[in-house]
Amino acid sequence: MDSHIPMADMAPAFPFQRTCPFHPPPQYAAARAAAPVCPVTLWNGKRAWLVLRHVEVREVLSDDTRFSGAMADPDFPAITPARVTVDKNERAFVGMDNPDHDAYRRLFTREFSVRRMLALKPQISAIAEQLLDEIEAHGPPADLVAMLAVKFPSLVMSALFGSPYEDHEFIIRCAVARHGLTQSVEEAEVKARELAAYVRRLIDTKEARPGDDMVSRIIEEHVRPGKLSRDDFAEIGAMILRAGHDTTTNMIGMGTLLLLQNDAMRRRLAADPALIDGAVEELLRFVSPVQYSPRRVAKEDVVIGGVTIPKGEGVFMPLASANRDERMFDAPDTLDITRDASQHLAFGFGIHQCLGQMLARYELQIVYTAILRRLPNLRLAVPLEEIRFKHDMQIYGVHNLPVAW
Amino acid sequence: MIRIRVNPQVCVGAGQCVRTVPEVFDQRDSDGIVVLLASTAPDERLTYLQKAVKLCPSQAISIELDPKP
Repeated sequence: MDSHIPMADMAPAFPFQRTCPFHPPPQYAAARAAAPVCPVTLWNGKRAWLVLRHVEVREVLSDDTRFSGAMADPDFPAITPARVTVDKNERAFVGMDNPDHDAYRRLFTREFSVRRMLALKPQISAIAEQLLDEIEAHGPPADLVAMLAVKFPSLVMSALFGSPYEDHEFIIRCAVARHGLTQSVEEAEVKARELAAYVRRLIDTKEARPGDDMVSRIIEEHVRPGKLSRDDFAEIGAMILRAGHDTTTNMIGMGTLLLLQNDAMRRRLAADPALIDGAVEELLRFVSPVQYSPRRVAKEDVVIGGVTIPKGEGVFMPLASANRDERMFDAPDTLDITRDASQHLAFGFGIHQCLGQMLARYELQIVYTAILRRLPNLRLAVPLEEIRFKHDMQIYGVHNLPVAW
Repeated sequence: MIRIRVNPQVCVGAGQCVRTVPEVFDQRDSDGIVVLLASTAPDERLTYLQKAVKLCPSQAISIELDPKP
């Protein structure tokens, strides 16, 4: 008898629901205690596997021989029907295996190098101060999501990438259509096409009138010499825009809320800004906003943590589980900005680890520091019950954060 | 003394090493790929170098303790 089949009946439906807005679904901890790998059933009845512990997540994400990250693979696991469609049409290197992945990614790595991102810090700080000026002028109460968390990464991406700021609402709509859990297949498909078409037009604009921005530099360095086609650049550019908006927005909203819920921690961080580096790593570990990626498909039967994942089956690595793994982090459900959280996997691991991670780190370090300095008496302007958490999104955070100060 | 080796072939330019041990690791200006500023480091940097090895997402860094002075 095939030993894989009986487990299919026992595989619970995935995704799971959170019972507390500040913690991952409790099923992760329960399953993680029982085994490193847990079978689940997806919306389409297919079985997939959750890899839940820190060591095994690193192992799978480092193993490009036995696991594939090719999103166009019909066996690649997806959390919604809409996601199947966008995965199938993914043309950026996030959905490629090597050698193609590295060949494309390397055209963009220098744009996100530590040195480049350090040089961008004064501009990022100026954007944070400008938005906090607006919030002060507006006066309390103010929605920190609408007035800061959404606008801040938009302005940063606009300065870095070269997309006009007026277009940010369109870009965000496209990201949300990708990252939702309830959108239709058509909506996801249309918005994916619209964003790539938008970047394609931006490439034409920048070819005619270059500026000091990523699109102009990539055209000069890679498109004109024939190393990158305009259509490929449009697809990669759309991916960069989506990634640069939604994730940072959610870390700002959720991270600020967590600091408001932990008054002693907030005071300590405000009093000692040198703690910000470690605090951001800990907030990334604790929040882990990307919920249903990374994913892989097994290229052969693979034994992970003593469990056989059969060839052709999908694997999810919920980073919120690995980042709460008690084998890796002491008291993992406690937010402690003074711990060494540097081994967190909030940016993933392996060849697909977030390309924009240094940008995200500096954005978050700068924006949290600025919030605490400019609005020292920051507090929620509504009861916690009125905060709407993003249970409907693949990237977790808050929809609103009314604050007073 | 600690000997440090990098493999630019597998580097994905995440920048974790530059962030962790900036006096040893840098990124090439041309493509953001790892470059060594020093191929050896004193023993007291071991903890940080081990961290850089562990944080590298694509196993591009290796270190080895060299007993010779």
